[in-house]
Amino acid sequence: MTDQTLSRGPAWFWGGAFFVGMFGTGFAARALDLGSIPSALVMIPPMLLLIPLVRASEKAQAACGALSPATRRYNRRGLIWAFGYVIFLFVAVFGAKSGASGPLLWLLALLPALPIFFMLWTMARYLVEETDEYLRLRVINAALWATGLLLAVATVWGFLETFELVPHVPGWAAVPVWAVGLGASSIVNRWREA
Amino acid sequence: MKNRLKVLRAERGWSQQDLAERLEVSRQSVNAIETGRYDPSLPLAFRIADLFGMTIEEIFQRGE
Repeated sequence: MTDQTLSRGPAWFWGGAFFVGMFGTGFAARALDLGSIPSALVMIPPMLLLIPLVRASEKAQAACGALSPATRRYNRRGLIWAFGYVIFLFVAVFGAKSGASGPLLWLLALLPALPIFFMLWTMARYLVEETDEYLRLRVINAALWATGLLLAVATVWGFLETFELVPHVPGWAAVPVWAVGLGASSIVNRWREA
Repeated sequence: MKNRLKVLRAERGWSQQDLAERLEVSRQSVNAIETGRYDPSLPLAFRIADLFGMTIEEIFQRGE
């Protein structure tokens, strides 16, 4: 139990640092009106916090006997799509700001969506590759909770937006909201098992 | 569902990790089954029964 508690500490720390770093730089970039490209650039360092976060999470998962080979592959692929997303987003924003238009702009606009498709594939592969039925069920439950949260948030926000009480939020925000729900459900799962 | 997994495991001097390795599942799964938080699928229940050389009904019983 002591080992588990100790090994969970860093995961919480890196998770908090990642969250504060991403939102902190995001809000700071907006408040200082840095513009799209510098905003994307300042968000790269907090993205790097994903690496120690994943490593610490794997240690915590191993300590409580929940690190399967499929989970490990899922984590690795998760890092690939997360970094791919930032890079493609940067390329798309840079391209658009450089005056791209016509079919090229369509291509650039769709570029950041590619890593999200990879994320969906990663999730599907995990469910296929996970041979541990209990771990698989836990992830399915977490994904359902995340989907419920996303539907609730999107519906409430959508109505508030319709009545012009809140600003417009682009559709791509669905994935980050879903990811937050998935993370929160996983944390609740671990709490219940502690 | 109730089960005698913890007792059967203890009789053989196995840790949860030992049992998990023999069943090729995670220790978390063994823990969840032992504490009644998760009822295994039929294929896994058969694997557990085979490992202990018993029938499923001798390990798992009805009830909360």
